[in-house]
Amino acid sequence: MALSRTAARPPHLLVSRRERWARRSLVSPSVLALLVLGAYPLLFIIAASVSDSSLGKPFRAWTGTENFETVLADGDVVASLWRTVAYALAVSLASVALGVVAAVALERATRGGSIVKTILLLPLIIPPVVVGTLWKLIFNPGGGLLSTIVEFFGGDGAALAPLSSTAWALPAIALTDVWEWTPLVILLVYTSLLGQDEATREAAALDGAHGWRLFRSITLPAIAGAVAAAFFIRLVIAFKVFDLVFVMTSGGPGQATTTTSYLIYQVALKEFDVGRASAITLLLAVVVTLVTLPIVALTRKVHRDA
Amino acid sequence: MRSRRASRSPIASAVVGLFLIGTLVPILYLFSVSLMGRGETVSGILWSPDPSWSNWGDVLTASNIPGGVARSLAAAIGGALLSLALAVPGAWAIVRFRTGGATLGATLMSPWLLPPIVAVVPLLTLLRILGLNNTLIGLTLVYALVNIPVAIWLLEGFIRAIPGEIEEAATIDGAGTFRTLVSIVVPLVLPALVAVGIIVAILNYNEFLLATFLTQSVDAQTFPVALSMFYGDRTPHFGKIAAASLIGVIPVFAVAVFLQRWLIGGLTTGAVRG
Repeated sequence: MALSRTAARPPHLLVSRRERWARRSLVSPSVLALLVLGAYPLLFIIAASVSDSSLGKPFRAWTGTENFETVLADGDVVASLWRTVAYALAVSLASVALGVVAAVALERATRGGSIVKTILLLPLIIPPVVVGTLWKLIFNPGGGLLSTIVEFFGGDGAALAPLSSTAWALPAIALTDVWEWTPLVILLVYTSLLGQDEATREAAALDGAHGWRLFRSITLPAIAGAVAAAFFIRLVIAFKVFDLVFVMTSGGPGQATTTTSYLIYQVALKEFDVGRASAITLLLAVVVTLVTLPIVALTRKVHRDA
Repeated sequence: MRSRRASRSPIASAVVGLFLIGTLVPILYLFSVSLMGRGETVSGILWSPDPSWSNWGDVLTASNIPGGVARSLAAAIGGALLSLALAVPGAWAIVRFRTGGATLGATLMSPWLLPPIVAVVPLLTLLRILGLNNTLIGLTLVYALVNIPVAIWLLEGFIRAIPGEIEEAATIDGAGTFRTLVSIVVPLVLPALVAVGIIVAILNYNEFLLATFLTQSVDAQTFPVALSMFYGDRTPHFGKIAAASLIGVIPVFAVAVFLQRWLIGGLTTGAVRG
């Protein structure tokens, strides 16, 4: 539609030079935002990664690829990258699976008023620092909700301390993350369910498609685009996880919950080594791109097929 | 308009019920803990036999939380208004005139793809040069810029929905670009502006990473930063932490309850295009 409008009335042929500049000035604040938040940090980080830079005195001396060599040889950095990728994929898959189930149920439910929808979306508007605090209290070994419930059912609640266990701290943060962001998937998928073609579904139901078969052949193709988009958005958010780690475990115990974002924070703002932090940041950027590109391609493909 | 008679199922209601419990129980637990005394928070009870509001009183009178909430509100609302003022012309030009070609909209969102930690050190350096580090004004300006792409992304759908003929009529009547924007487009998208404004303000209010680095002095700290400071004590008082958390959440809850129609409308419009 937008295309046909442009074709019928090519704007650049009809508007004056003055008008064209007026239009450019309309987008100038947005371009400024892009420069300040995108281009400038990127150039800064590229420059810092090939130099000896501290927080107070950036770019003291050019060091070439030294930072990258140090960083790639550092087991902690490589481990944090793997941890981050595994974490991001796991919480995204869990959120999307749960979110699709909830959205489909919400649409089919006999009761699903606006109060229900508002409550389901609550975790989205709660500050992540509060979400972290809330689940830290739940996981608190002495008297937290989890240990109290386990004790009620006869287990040893006092021995349960997921946040100080190297094996369970990251899954505990992941659970919190899933609680916080699944509502976003519910929202995206639910709105797309509302937009699906009712007639197709009725026809399929008349032809004898019910339950799982109806869902697989009619509902799922209709919402596939929204699900793919939700997965992409969820993945990007998961790669950024910082607040929860900061509040719940500070990266510990040991390095068990040190995601790459948190590691960059530690190196840049605790060790003040901006050069090394920048090298890790670029490495993270490459990893994020490599992981999200297939998803973007998939989203495009689903959109084309739909 | 839409009939949903065919496939309503009790199983679906049960599933929705489970999700409701999963969402509400943690929040209610936080409230319950906020009414407990120091000993009770570690004694393994779910509800205090003698609930008391004293934690709430202590946090309100003797902590940095009320100030943090006030500063968060100022940065959130100020940043959101500024974002909208800068994003509306941009979104309109991108939708109507395809200014910047097909790619500008997508390019604007690209910084969002990377963890914000990437921008912290460069922004810190920039604010220091401008003499705005550790100030609420500096943080508000950063929030305003950060959310321009988000606001444009959400607004595009609403602007596309305005019939172009209305604007054409204005142009034929002799209105210039700015005049058409101010007296035709802005009034038409006013409900959308409210929705997007709320969403952006909530994003700002909840933001932690930038705030914690750009406002390090105590009298510039926003609510999430002030709350994170509660873990500095050797033996944290869980009741007070819970009360402080809820006090900071109240403004967002109030917005969600009173303005939910606009809020959900805005989220929905941004979402369908996903």
